[in-house]
Amino acid sequence: MNAPVTDILPADLTDLSDSQLMKLERKIALKHSGMFPWLMVIWAFGNLICWLALWPLVLFDYIPLWLGFLIATINMSLVYLPTHDAQHDIIARPGQKLRWLNELVGHATSWMIVFPFQVLRVTHMDHHRHANDPQLDPDYTSHAAGPWTALWSTIQERQPKGQRQHDYLGSLDRNGRQDLILLSIAYKLAFLAILFALAWSGYALEAFFLWWLPYHIALSYLVFFLSWAPHHPGTKQGRYQDTRSWKSAAGNIGSMGMQFHVVHHLHPYIPLDRTPAAYREMRPLLVARGCDLGEN
Amino acid sequence: MEKALTLFLKFLPLIFAFGFVIPVIAQGTKALEWTPPLGLTPLWFALIIGGAWGLFAQIKGRWL
Repeated sequence: MNAPVTDILPADLTDLSDSQLMKLERKIALKHSGMFPWLMVIWAFGNLICWLALWPLVLFDYIPLWLGFLIATINMSLVYLPTHDAQHDIIARPGQKLRWLNELVGHATSWMIVFPFQVLRVTHMDHHRHANDPQLDPDYTSHAAGPWTALWSTIQERQPKGQRQHDYLGSLDRNGRQDLILLSIAYKLAFLAILFALAWSGYALEAFFLWWLPYHIALSYLVFFLSWAPHHPGTKQGRYQDTRSWKSAAGNIGSMGMQFHVVHHLHPYIPLDRTPAAYREMRPLLVARGCDLGEN
Repeated sequence: MEKALTLFLKFLPLIFAFGFVIPVIAQGTKALEWTPPLGLTPLWFALIIGGAWGLFAQIKGRWL
């Protein structure tokens, strides 16, 4: 791969100390962070409005149900990433003027995938702290030998006796957030109540194809690309070992930018849309650190 | 309240079968204009299939 154009890195990194490498890494990271993530905010609310609009469009026969299903599946698959930036306070940190917007992006959209925003935040921070730890990483159940077993595992882990929900509840309990356990249950019960009410009112197929099935397809897609692929094989822990860069057959957009997830774990304050550029500039440093960079 | 919630969660697969799976099967059968075998109405067909599937999920702890 050609060396990236960068005004920060010296030509030769071999004689640099650990702290010097870290200093350069942070310099690149800061260059790609701090800007307001307009894309994420527009994405979050645009996606929400699109999905809500599907309901009257389908119910009043403006569009067929099959088209509503396809769009809803895309909507559900797009819910998580804006909340992810909000979980990392990328839109605005505590104390900043637009902090309310950061929290609004999170709370106003996470319910679509039936998760309270704070649950996603607490468990995701635990994942960052304990990535690949069999006991403490709430996403550990996404580990699998290969892509097909990973996909099947995403379905199995959502079954009534799936381990994943226990790991998430365990994470909340360890973090002293038993209140969020109750909130999670409340979200699930509300979801079921809405599905049941729609179903027994004669709208079972709309509920199935506009929410329930797209939600499950999206969760499998999200766990596959955000949880399994960037950490596979997931046998190592440590700052430069617990995540990798990889080349996805689905491309950058299809894999939701997760090909460069190694940069996110190192510097989670970089907005999603800046991680590819940060990765390209940081790559020589990541090579020097022995990161798994695949063909990227 | 806590006891009621625990009981509800314990029997969730069966509750989900009756609350959602059965009406989806029944309305799906009607939408496809398919006549169930043995003279069953769509609702009875859904009750049998959905109810059995829910019972399976309740006992085995998985739908698939």
